[in-house]
Amino acid sequence: MVLPAKDKVADIVRACRLIRRMTEAQPGHLKSRLLYYDMLIRYFTRILRARENGDFIAAHSVFFPAEVLYAMGLVPMHTESTTWMISLFPGECADMISEGASLGLAAEICTPHRGLAGAYSLRALPRPDVMLWSNMVCDNTAKCGELIMEVCGCPGFFLDRPFKNSEREIAYLAGELEDMVRFLEERSGRRMDWENLAATVARMDEQIELVRRINELRKHVPTPFSPLGFLELVSVDYLFPGQPEAIEYLKTLYGELEERVAQGRGALPEERFRLMTLFIPPMYLMNFLEDISRQYGAVSVIEPFFTYWGEGRLDPSRPLESVARKSYLIPEMRMYGPLDSRAIDGIVKCARDYRVDGAIYYADVGCRHSCAVIKLFKDVLNEMDIPVLVLDCDVVDPTATSKEEMKAKFEQFFELLEDR
Amino acid sequence: MQDYPELRTLEKFREVNREFPKNRFILEHKAQGKKVFGWLCTYVPEEVIHAAGILPVRIVGYSEETDLTEGTAYMHVNNCSFSRSCLELGLKGEYSFLDGVVGGSTCDGARRLFDLWRHYIGTPFHHVLTVPRKYTERAHRLYYEEVEEFTRHLEEFIGRKVTDEALLASIGLYNETRHLLSQLYGLRRRDNPPITGAETMDVLNASFRMPREVFNSWLRELLAEIEDRRRDVSGKYRARLMLIGSVLTNTDFIRSIERQGGIVVTDELCTSTRYWTDPVVLKDGLSPLEAIARRYLGNFPCARMFPSEERFNRIVEFAREYRVDGVVSQIVRYCVPYCHDLPLLTKRLREVNVPVLALDVEYGSSGSGQIATRVQAFLEMLEARNGIASKR
Ligand code: SF4
Ligand code: SF4
Repeated sequence: MVLPAKDKVADIVRACRLIRRMTEAQPGHLKSRLLYYDMLIRYFTRILRARENGDFIAAHSVFFPAEVLYAMGLVPMHTESTTWMISLFPGECADMISEGASLGLAAEICTPHRGLAGAYSLRALPRPDVMLWSNMVCDNTAKCGELIMEVCGCPGFFLDRPFKNSEREIAYLAGELEDMVRFLEERSGRRMDWENLAATVARMDEQIELVRRINELRKHVPTPFSPLGFLELVSVDYLFPGQPEAIEYLKTLYGELEERVAQGRGALPEERFRLMTLFIPPMYLMNFLEDISRQYGAVSVIEPFFTYWGEGRLDPSRPLESVARKSYLIPEMRMYGPLDSRAIDGIVKCARDYRVDGAIYYADVGCRHSCAVIKLFKDVLNEMDIPVLVLDCDVVDPTATSKEEMKAKFEQFFELLEDR
Repeated sequence: MQDYPELRTLEKFREVNREFPKNRFILEHKAQGKKVFGWLCTYVPEEVIHAAGILPVRIVGYSEETDLTEGTAYMHVNNCSFSRSCLELGLKGEYSFLDGVVGGSTCDGARRLFDLWRHYIGTPFHHVLTVPRKYTERAHRLYYEEVEEFTRHLEEFIGRKVTDEALLASIGLYNETRHLLSQLYGLRRRDNPPITGAETMDVLNASFRMPREVFNSWLRELLAEIEDRRRDVSGKYRARLMLIGSVLTNTDFIRSIERQGGIVVTDELCTSTRYWTDPVVLKDGLSPLEAIARRYLGNFPCARMFPSEERFNRIVEFAREYRVDGVVSQIVRYCVPYCHDLPLLTKRLREVNVPVLALDVEYGSSGSGQIATRVQAFLEMLEARNGIASKR
């Protein structure tokens, strides 16, 4: 059945509103959670209303520098996050995924991307005015754009982001960004507001600093941040880079966590297992995973590839160069960039500093890049006497996982940790 | 049963392949105290390695279907079987003769293979080049600087300079290979090609496993032998085919298609056409290293490059030049760059009236079983469609 246009995004907004109301009704809820849902509602409503507001939708792949889009007054639409959110909230992905397959995309292509092409083809997402994508992480992102352009009948720009992080590669990326700005100016009829970009970069720098400071608080035993709260940090970074809302959210969260630390309170009534999360858990299992965490006193204290930023600051006086530089500071680069001894040392340091008892590896069947290093990280962590639980799953497709099996594996793993 | 004579020279190439990885050329080279480097992708400039006095060999996996127990344990089953197969050979010590490994930031499979190779196999020298995905002047500049950095790294390792003279000599040698291979492919354009697709793959496989000087002389010999014998392998073909997609080294795969009457007259594979088509062009004002870098980035593109249209255009052009009736796309499972291109490329080929058979394969596949059945049905469809009179 072909769904009416925009249905999936409207579903996300509806679900976020509902969860926000429910959160607010809970005694002792955190203000940061409400802010978080406000942000999601704002983000997807903006996409939903773009046409009537005369806005220009720039769809973009994961880790794409949306700072530039915000500074130009465009409406960003983070493609992978949109598929994750569809899986997380309305939970209806099967139609998109099978439509992606009928476009000719093989089963090996990760579901965020197969589902995305399918969703556009079903007109279940608003049609973007441009498609922007890069090779920031994997071949799936690097290759996703041309088919979307074809399906949506829109123009596109591929941002070629070099692999290593030498100065000449950063300069190359800054050059690519310049070309992209020109392309967007031509297509959207809007000019880049350079002052706005500089201010956005300054805020992005602050945003990274805030996440670093939040992570410092997470080192405390017991840790103050909720077991899967890191997904909020990730979404805020993906959807609101350098935006005032992000700063407000992070400052509020920081204050809340600081207070908990001062009171010696943890996020869970009893913290038994401090975990390192490697890769993204399946979105449709969030409630189930929350339950498991509470039941066993297990909490993710650090995610080297999602919340643990690299060292370095951004310079607002060199905005485009800073945007380029940021792409090499993002935590994911520890996994997706060259896997040299520096990257491996980063994991070791994380495990030590955050006093990790065990690690959970969500082995997403469609994500070759992350799965290819499971053994390597397992070996590195096992050498530090840290066991690793590998869970086969798919980040958005529920048919790939059995809850019972996953629960049994968690139980076994926690028993093992307990015995130690 | 084939009804054309065997080629003597071809047997020599096959011998080199049978013994690989540890074939006699490699062992002799090592016995003389010289170095051997493995390269992982066609975006690694071989001339530079050669000009440093090192024997470059291409790292490939088993040319047959095998259980990749170790490769899979180290790399996870959702990575292409090509990279797992290479890793398995490496882990088993089959590439223990290597003094260095050079890769590029080309695709997930190749990048991870490089990462794991460095971590677990630990060949003395390793280097990964950033390879841009575009063809802009900026991209060429970046790639040149990458090649230059690689050259400096190599010089440090061998303790001497890689001179322009040496680079020019290597360019000459490698361009000669390209020229000879284009002659060989030229013969396949004929109505009655004198060499099969499987035989051509035997030659190509040997090209990256032996000293280039010897390879070129054998290839010259082969070309002469083919002409002398006035060979014609087309006997009973039902359709002229082009083979495209992921890396392929198993000649049995092509042989199984050809046994069913589909003669493979050309291809678009990184182990063949995309390896040899474009020469290094020495133009005024370009240093030898610049000319090399320009050729490698601008070569017949892999599916990783943007825009894909460049690759599609070249495929369409080849299909026309070689007058193919159909295209067989063989994509190794989890080879994402090629998987993504398939819907658009199929559409593009349909527009020029060339049907595509899309096969999902494992690297090393012999093309038997279900694949053979699908090839058979495809050939029947082509026969019916084109009214190709079966010569059977
Ligand atoms: S899940 Fe993996 S393969 Fe898919 S977009 Fe994310 S990083 Fe790429
Ligand atoms: S191009 Fe495909 S088959 Fe080759 S290494 Fe990359 S992913 Fe594997």
